[in-house]
Amino acid sequence: MKAKRIAAVATKETREVLRDPITLGVALMMPLVLLLLFGYAITLDVDDIALGVLDEDHSPASRQLQQAFTASDAFRLTARLRHYHEVESTLQGGEARLVLVIPAGFQRRLARGEASPVQLLVDGSYSATATLVSQRALAVTRGFGRDSPASLLSLDTRVWFNPSLSSVHTVVPALYAVILMAFPPLLTALALVREKETGTIQQIYASPLSAAEFLCGKLVPYGAIACVQMAMVIIAGLLWFGVPFHGSPGVLLAVSLLYVLCTLGIGLLVSAVTRTQLVAMLAVLIITLMPSFLFSGMLFPIFTMPYLLQLYTLLFPGRYFVDIARGVVLKGVGVEILWPSIAVVAVYTLLILALAAWRLKKKVA
Amino acid sequence: MTTVIRADGVGRRFAGRRVLADIDLEVRDGEIFGLLGPDGAGKTTLMQLLAAILDPSEGQLTVFGFDTRHGAEEVNARVGYMTQAFSLYDRLSVIENLQFAARIRDVAASDFRLRSEELLTMAGLENARHRRAGQLSGGMRKKLSLCAALIHAPALLLLDELSLGVDPLSRRDLWRLLRRHRDEGNTVVISTPYMDEAEHCDRLGFLHDGQLVALDTPARLRRRVTGHIYQLATSHLDETEALVRSWPGISSLQRLANRLRIQLAPDQDVPVDALARLDGLGHLVAVEPTLEEAFIALSPLSAPAVLPPPMPPAFAATGVEVRAERLGVHFGDVMAVHEVSLRVPPGEVIGWLGPNGAGKTTLIRVLCGLQKPSVGRAWVGELSVTEQVGQLRRRLGYMSQHFSLYPDLSVAENLRFFAGIYGLAGRQRRLAIDWASHMTHLTGLEEQRVDALSAAVRQRLALACSILHGPAVLFLDEPTSGIDPLSRQHFWHLILTLAGQGMTVFVTTHYLEEANYCHRLGLMHQGRLIALDTPDQLRVTLGLPHDAGMEAVFMAGIEREQRRAS
Amino acid sequence: MRLLSLLHKEWIQFTRDRVVLFLILWLYTVEVIICAYALALDMHDLPLVVADADHSPASRSLVRAFTESGNFRLVAQLNEASTAAEYLERGQARAVLVIGNGFAGHLLEGDEQRLQLLVDGSNANTAAVARGYALQTVEAFQRQWAALSDSPTPRVPPQLRIWYNPAVTNVSFVVLSMIALAGLMVGVAHPAASIVREKEAGTIEQLMVTPVSTGELFVAKTVPTLLVGLAALFPSLALVGWFGVPVRGSLPLFFALTALFLISAIGLGVLVAAISRTLQQALLLTFFGLFPLMFLSGTIVPVESMPRLLQELSLVSPLRHYLDITLGIFLKGTGVDILWPHMLALVLIGLPLYGAAWVIFRRQ
Repeated sequence: MKAKRIAAVATKETREVLRDPITLGVALMMPLVLLLLFGYAITLDVDDIALGVLDEDHSPASRQLQQAFTASDAFRLTARLRHYHEVESTLQGGEARLVLVIPAGFQRRLARGEASPVQLLVDGSYSATATLVSQRALAVTRGFGRDSPASLLSLDTRVWFNPSLSSVHTVVPALYAVILMAFPPLLTALALVREKETGTIQQIYASPLSAAEFLCGKLVPYGAIACVQMAMVIIAGLLWFGVPFHGSPGVLLAVSLLYVLCTLGIGLLVSAVTRTQLVAMLAVLIITLMPSFLFSGMLFPIFTMPYLLQLYTLLFPGRYFVDIARGVVLKGVGVEILWPSIAVVAVYTLLILALAAWRLKKKVA
Repeated sequence: MTTVIRADGVGRRFAGRRVLADIDLEVRDGEIFGLLGPDGAGKTTLMQLLAAILDPSEGQLTVFGFDTRHGAEEVNARVGYMTQAFSLYDRLSVIENLQFAARIRDVAASDFRLRSEELLTMAGLENARHRRAGQLSGGMRKKLSLCAALIHAPALLLLDELSLGVDPLSRRDLWRLLRRHRDEGNTVVISTPYMDEAEHCDRLGFLHDGQLVALDTPARLRRRVTGHIYQLATSHLDETEALVRSWPGISSLQRLANRLRIQLAPDQDVPVDALARLDGLGHLVAVEPTLEEAFIALSPLSAPAVLPPPMPPAFAATGVEVRAERLGVHFGDVMAVHEVSLRVPPGEVIGWLGPNGAGKTTLIRVLCGLQKPSVGRAWVGELSVTEQVGQLRRRLGYMSQHFSLYPDLSVAENLRFFAGIYGLAGRQRRLAIDWASHMTHLTGLEEQRVDALSAAVRQRLALACSILHGPAVLFLDEPTSGIDPLSRQHFWHLILTLAGQGMTVFVTTHYLEEANYCHRLGLMHQGRLIALDTPDQLRVTLGLPHDAGMEAVFMAGIEREQRRAS
Repeated sequence: MRLLSLLHKEWIQFTRDRVVLFLILWLYTVEVIICAYALALDMHDLPLVVADADHSPASRSLVRAFTESGNFRLVAQLNEASTAAEYLERGQARAVLVIGNGFAGHLLEGDEQRLQLLVDGSNANTAAVARGYALQTVEAFQRQWAALSDSPTPRVPPQLRIWYNPAVTNVSFVVLSMIALAGLMVGVAHPAASIVREKEAGTIEQLMVTPVSTGELFVAKTVPTLLVGLAALFPSLALVGWFGVPVRGSLPLFFALTALFLISAIGLGVLVAAISRTLQQALLLTFFGLFPLMFLSGTIVPVESMPRLLQELSLVSPLRHYLDITLGIFLKGTGVDILWPHMLALVLIGLPLYGAAWVIFRRQ
């Protein structure tokens, strides 16, 4: 290993990256776009739910119930129905997600002290929305006209690490894992396979440069891009979305470097076994990006998945890094707690790099 | 004299298929060793073995005494290898590319400064130092690749198809660099399809089908066929050719614009009665063989010397005249084509020569309707190239140097596709395909996929695809780059036959000897048409002897223009 | 005839590209299956630690109420809360239920009783669900306990009915949205790659000197992807049956609108191809374009939960309209009378894409 040769490869690679505006632009813009989308689009609460009302009672009480709905920010009255058969088309066309049906005699029954039922008809096609909508609606109706009875048991919930239950706080640390998994492997894989496709790699083979030197040099610029991406997301998260940082930045930085090595290694490995850029990109998509979204615990909790799929998630390093990042950023814990995940990432990295170096022999065939 | 390369029974297989076998070879230091052979003979594989980036499957190969299997690092440190494809990084500048090549080979910074200056000056690239490699012309890229391969002053230089796609001016620069490197006591191994280039080598190895069938100096190789080559100048080409074809033992027959060149098999002589029957048709003289003819004699499996007479196209093409009046194309301040006027009669084969960037390709793109001229007008027959583009395209055939075919389609599928997009259908399409594939000897290869074909076959297929619809004018852009001499001869035979049926043919080429096939030559330089005449008349106007080679004609033309300009 | 030849060629090339065909099939089947199994389930088996200082039959029955629902999985049972925090820090548990000393006693005496739930908020979604489950469980437990004494029934009992999806399962949604997503990815990536490949190989120049027009080229590049996209629906429909997704609307309508959607997606691919010079650029641009489209479609996050601005932006994502169409046809049995605005939107999205691509191609 000669430092000068590695520096030569790194310089060359850096220049190439800096001179490709589309690649560089995508690499730098994408994390911010992802952050903005995740930050703004993922909120747990549904506000402004489109509400349709079919009031067959036309009484002060029925109007009161409607007001109970519209008084909160949660519901917005979008449709007044006159007949029950209009419900179908209202829900079908998405004019309303929820139709409240107040039957005739609503007020009369209430006055008599009887139970006076109403119907809540929810559009279940977006199941996630449906759940939230029904919870909200149930809460409003249950609370209507009832003095809160003395409760025997009360549940005092304390949310640790993220008291406001902000989803941005949840998503940003996990986003480190996704972004570092999405770009470095893709860029390295494409860069190496491009050298194969254009034939410049033969020049490398025929030089005294060793495979290890070549790979190290290749890793430098893409590692640097990964660090810039990471820094951008951390800073934007901190300043724009106010995501706190409870743990030690040093620990996160160190582990991130390890993780980046790992993801770059995956890119190298992919490029060592593929011949064309299209295939390399598809392979990267399937083995890094999709799993790091779906099977890292970023959005979908792993404990809910069937057991076999839980085992499947163990294959992807993103899942460990999500744990580490959330641990450091939100929980403020350190190596003493996170060491098992860190150890797994370390072993993973070593294996991947060894495999990549072993696959990339300096021979044409 | 020490041995640099020693090969003992070296062979290589790919997935069980033999690509090289039983290569015994010894190259000594200070030699320029040339590797010749048709496409697919194994030249590139042998180069890769020598560079130690591929292991031999059998036999032993040592370079500087190091086994290439186990001592690859030692070999790598001593060789410079220039691959066939451009091995440059397009986004790096000229100097940055050199720097990279130097630093991965541990060249000291001070040495680098000296050598890079020297090499760039020799290559004529000193003013292009900060230009991106991707913006250089083909010739400049090749020169830069060579500089990169020379930057660490390797004791052994391996060059795969050095001059592919390089114009004659750049080729002269390349060879100057090579000779100097050799004179410094280094060894050069070069593979090339250009026979005039092979002449410059000290020794030549002929590869055929993975075997080394001859190993000798150029002069001694030529001597093997001396006395078997005749030339017949005639103005009645068709009649004469028919006569000559009836002779026994013809190993090749080259039909040039105004003469035939005949090569007889080693044990054959001109038939006794032949001279009498030729009387009045032409004059037969024995001539000095070229290396190309020596090459053809060495190819054990010559393609059929007698070509089948072409069938007339199903929808006979009537030739048309091509005219241009004061045509100009300007890109900003750059005049790619300037004040070009010409008139090309039907059935003429016209060759366009000139250095890279002289405007040949732009001119052809204008005539094809691909590029709008900035000034001037041009017609193909009655059709204006600017206004009647739609109709024009039906009458044109175009074959680019990349042989633009679909690699994942079979031969038949490519033919059917191109016939179809010209609107041929049913019986008409079948006839056209039959005719074109018969004409280009593709019969029997229909089911092969294009990516499995050799360059020579792909070239014939590309030609077939561009003549299927019986175009009135055919444009050929570097149609024979990377093709071995025998295939090239066959190709030209086809072109001249088509021209004989009235097709007008425009050809650009860097392989100057091909200009002999053309009726007239257009010489372009910096966007201007500096000469347009028959080869013989050009020699006269430029004050050259009547047997002067085409390269001399080309250089003289360019030099005259440069004098005129200054 | 010209067009026919172009189409034939595209078709042969498409079917010969094994890797790509494999990928398309993968996206339409395996990916759908994996996601349906992995993501469609409502959250359950939340890892829970109980710190029970009471050790009474009452506290044990409360813990049982937590675990029997299937919503929680008991990871550890502790005697006191002091070590419970570590479970949260290590991520071994998502929630800790703290039952104080004297729980049973208070309950029997009818005193008010406070339970404590510590929730790991690092995944806000999980945390919110955990809180909701815990509240439900405690409420139910309380009702059970109080069943002996009479408690007032609510005055306005709501009768909740979830239409189109009575069980409120995610399966239908995940299956349908993954199929829609596959259509988008294939529709954009494949034509982009196939056109840029011709650019790189130089065959596009060859086509330019033939009578083939830009329009014909676009049609030829659109149709194979369209057909394969439609054909790939068949295995997907088998999956739809397998997962028990109802088919309430008309399948022919679904196919017709899928075609419309694919055409607008392919338009995007053609535009990407017009802009990029190399395959790498095309691939990266595709990648860059797909994300926001996916995000704004409602597949990952319901459109209703987005801020107003993003909701309006989501109207330019063809996937959003297609998702509404798909859910409408399969789950609601909607017809053209209601879906026409989405159809119009797809046309309005597709046309400018092709138009822009045409202009750029012309200029080159």
